[in-house]
Amino acid sequence: MASITNDSLKAVFRAQCCLLLLVGAVVFGARAQDTTKKKKPEFSIGGDMGVSYEGYGLNLWPGRSTPPFYTPRKPWNMLRYNFSPTFTYGKWTIPFNFNFTALQNNFITPVTSGKQSLWQFITNPANNFGISPKIGTTQFLLGTQYIKYSDLSTGDLGAFGYGINLSPGKFRLKFFHGVSQRSIDYVAPTVVPPDPGVPGAYQRNHWMAQLGMEENEKYFVGFNFVKAQDDINSVTSLPQPPITPQDNMVVTFLTKVKTGNGWNLQMELGQSFHTRDLTTPASASPVLDFKPFITSHTSTDRDNAVMFALAKKKSDWEAGVKFNYYGAGYYTAGYPFMATDRLDYLANASFKLIKKKVNVIASAGQRLGNLSKSSGSGVNRQFIANVNLSAQVTDHFSLNGTFNNLGYNAADITGYRSVNNEFSINPVYTWTTTTMSNMFSGTYTRSQYDETTLVPAAVTNNNTQTALLQYVPTFFKGNLSPDLSLMWFKNMAPPVDLTLFNATASLGWKLASKLSLKSQLQYNTSTTAPFTADKNVLLSGGFDWELYKRLTWQLLLTGNLYRYGTGLPGNSLTPPYAGSPQYLESTIRTSLNYRFK
Amino acid sequence: MLLVALSIVALKGNAQVSINLALNTRPQPWLADWASPVNGIMILTYTPGAISDPAIKIRTTVADGAGNPIAVSNINSARVYMLKPGVNQFSMANALQMENLLFVGNYKASIRRSGRLPAGQYQLTIQVTNATGDVVRATQSKFFFVTSYQLPVLMSPANGARLDAHTAQSVIVFRWTPVTPAYAEPVVYRVQVFEVLSGQTPMQAFRANRPLLDEATRGLTQYAWHVNLPMIDSAANRQFIWTVQTTDMHGRILPANADANTQGHSEPAVFNIINQPGVVTNKKEDEDH
Repeated sequence: MASITNDSLKAVFRAQCCLLLLVGAVVFGARAQDTTKKKKPEFSIGGDMGVSYEGYGLNLWPGRSTPPFYTPRKPWNMLRYNFSPTFTYGKWTIPFNFNFTALQNNFITPVTSGKQSLWQFITNPANNFGISPKIGTTQFLLGTQYIKYSDLSTGDLGAFGYGINLSPGKFRLKFFHGVSQRSIDYVAPTVVPPDPGVPGAYQRNHWMAQLGMEENEKYFVGFNFVKAQDDINSVTSLPQPPITPQDNMVVTFLTKVKTGNGWNLQMELGQSFHTRDLTTPASASPVLDFKPFITSHTSTDRDNAVMFALAKKKSDWEAGVKFNYYGAGYYTAGYPFMATDRLDYLANASFKLIKKKVNVIASAGQRLGNLSKSSGSGVNRQFIANVNLSAQVTDHFSLNGTFNNLGYNAADITGYRSVNNEFSINPVYTWTTTTMSNMFSGTYTRSQYDETTLVPAAVTNNNTQTALLQYVPTFFKGNLSPDLSLMWFKNMAPPVDLTLFNATASLGWKLASKLSLKSQLQYNTSTTAPFTADKNVLLSGGFDWELYKRLTWQLLLTGNLYRYGTGLPGNSLTPPYAGSPQYLESTIRTSLNYRFK
Repeated sequence: MLLVALSIVALKGNAQVSINLALNTRPQPWLADWASPVNGIMILTYTPGAISDPAIKIRTTVADGAGNPIAVSNINSARVYMLKPGVNQFSMANALQMENLLFVGNYKASIRRSGRLPAGQYQLTIQVTNATGDVVRATQSKFFFVTSYQLPVLMSPANGARLDAHTAQSVIVFRWTPVTPAYAEPVVYRVQVFEVLSGQTPMQAFRANRPLLDEATRGLTQYAWHVNLPMIDSAANRQFIWTVQTTDMHGRILPANADANTQGHSEPAVFNIINQPGVVTNKKEDEDH
C-alpha cells in the first residue's frame, strides 16, 4: 500500500512538473507574442489522427489436439488510437504524438499480471503520449519522447517524462528526464494451474543532457550525458535474477563536420560506468566512485567505445570508411541490446560509369568479436563483402546484379567456420504499346552456405535457389492495375530437401476517384521430401476510400487456408484425426484516418 | 614423552578451524555475482578448545592456470568474522571478497572494464587466519574454469535489409552465428520476428508487440520462415524487427557477455519489405539502430 501511495505521489509530482513546464511555456510564449504586436497570429493544424483495428481468427481442423499443431500468431484483437496533429499558432508549433492501445501485448518487456495502473499505462512501451511545443529556439518535451543524441549515448528507447531543447545561436542545450521502463511486480510461476508467472521489472529512470555548439550543415561539437538508474523501491515483489537493479552513466564526446567540397566526418568517443547489480556491496574496487553520479559497487564496470566515419561525396562517386569499437564492458541504457566486445571496420564506395548508365556500389569489412578473450583465447572474425552493379543497357532493358559474401570464424575448440556466397541477377525488360506499358522482370538468386566444424569433424551445406518471374502491365486508359508473379524456391540442406512454389495475382481497381479496390490471390505449395506438399491459398481484398475531405477508410481482409501434406498426418495427432490437418487464419485490418492538412 | 604430552595438551587447548570450499568448477563469469548459491559455498567448522578464539580473517588468492598469483586480498582491511561453534556457512562472495581483492597487470584492467576474467582455468586459495592475519589456521585451494558466451550475431537479413515482397511473402531465411564458445550441450535458439506497426518505432515494436514468429531451433543457426502474409499491399507488413534468444535446453539464459536484463536476446535487426520490381538487395540502408 505504501508503494502504491509512493507511485501515486511520484505520478502527481511528475504531472505537476509537466504542468509547470507547460504553464512556463505558455507564459514565455505569450511574452514572445507580445513582441510581434498588431499582427494577428495565424492558426493552422497539420498531421493526422485516426483509429486502427486488427482482428485475428484461427480455425483448426481438428479443433483440438495436444499439443496444438498450429498456434495463433497474433493477438485476437488490437485497437490502436493515433492522435498526431501539429498545431501552429503564430510562432508556436505544437506537435502531438499520441499513439496507444488499451491492451497489453508486451512480449520482450513484461506485462502486468492484472490491470494496468494509470502510471503503468502511460509508461507502457506500447504507448506514446508526447507533446513537443516549440517556439523559436526553445522546445519543450513532455510525455513520451524518443530522443536520439548519438549512437553511443541514447536513441532508440521511448521514455515518458519532461525536458527542454534550447538552441540560442550556435549553442545547443538539451535536457530530458523520464521513465524508460515501467515497474512490474514479480509473480512466481505455478504448475497447477500452469502459469509462467511474470518476471517483473524495476522502474528505470533516465536522465539525458547534451551541451554543444552547432552550425547547421557545417559542424556540431559537444558532450552527451546519460544517466539511468533502476528504482529498487518501485516494486513490491522483487524481480528474480537474472533481472537485477542497475545503474548506468555514459559520457560521450561527439563531433560532426561537413565541408562544402563533400567531406563528411563524424567521430564519437564514449565512456560508460555500469553497475550491473545495485544489491552487490558498495566498493571502490575494481572501479573508483564517480560521485555524485556513480557510487561504485563490486559489479561496476568502466569501459570505452569509439565510432569514426569519414566519407567524401562528389556528383558521380562516393567513398567512405567506418570504424567502430565497443569495449566488453561498454553499456548504455539508451541502447540496451547493443552488442559489445567487438570492433568493426567497413569501407564502401559507389561510382557511375559509361555516361552514368552503370552504377556500382561496393562495400567490404570485418567484424572482430571477443576482444576481451572472456569467451576463449581467440578472436571471432566475421567478413562482409557486397557488390551491386546496375546497368541501363538500352532504353528498354536494364540489368541488376548482386554478390554478397559473408564469412564467420569462431575461435573456439570446435573451429566453427561458415561461408555464405550469394549471387543474384535481375534483368528487367519494359516495352510500350499505344495502349499500355509492360514490365517483365526475372530474378535468380543462388545462395551457397557452408558450415564446417573441426571438433567434431563435420561439414554442413545449405544451398538455396530462388527464381522469380514478374509481369506488371500498366494500362494508359482504364482503372485496372494487375501484377502477376511466379516464385520457385529450393532449399537443399541434407537431409532437408524443401521446395516452395508460389503463384500470385494482384489486381488494383480504381473504382472512383476516391475509391480504390485491391485484391490478391496467392497459391503456395511447400514440399519437404519425401512427404507430399503442404498447400495453402491466401486471399486478401480491401479498399482505400476517401470518405470525406482528408478522411480515409482503409480495409484489408485476409484469409489463409493451409492444408498439411503427409509431413503431418492426421493420425499422428492426439487424439488421432482421420483427414489432413488444416487451419484457416483470418485477419481484418482496418483504419480510419483523418489528415488535418 | 614430555613432548607428546605437551602436544596433546596444546591440541586440546587450542580452538580448531577447518575449511570446506565447495566451489562450482564453472562459476558465473562475473566475479561480482559469486554471492549466488549456484557458485557454491564455503563452510568453516569451528571447534572451540580450552582457549577460545572465534575471531578470524580470510586471505584470498587467485592464481592463473600456471599457478602465478593474479589477485591477492588485502589482509589488513579484511573483515573480521566471529565464528560460532560448529558449522559456519559463507557465500563464495565472502570467500572471494571482491571488494578487497587486488588484481595485477592485465587482469586488473580486464576486471575493471568488464567485471570478468579472460576465459581459462584459475585456482582459488582461501586461508583462514587469526584476527591479526599473521597465523594461518586453515587453507584450501580449488581449481575453477571461467568462460562467458558471446551471443549470436544476426547475419541475414542484415540490419536495414530490403526484401522483395514477392519472395518475402512466401519465405524468408534467417541466419545467425552460433553462440561461442560452443556450449556443452546443444543450445536452443528462439528466432522471433515482430511487425513494426504504423506509428511505432522498430524498438517500440520489439519491446511491446507480440512476435509473429516465435520458433525454437535446437543447435541450428538458420530458419526458413514460411511467411504466408500479404505483403504486396502497402497498408501492412512493411517493416519487421527480428532477433534470436539463446537459452540452454531447459530454457535458462546462458551466462553471456550481454547484459543479463536482455534475457539472452541478440542485438535485433530491422528489415523492410519493398514492392519494387528489379530491386532485391540485402545491404544496409543506414547505420541506424
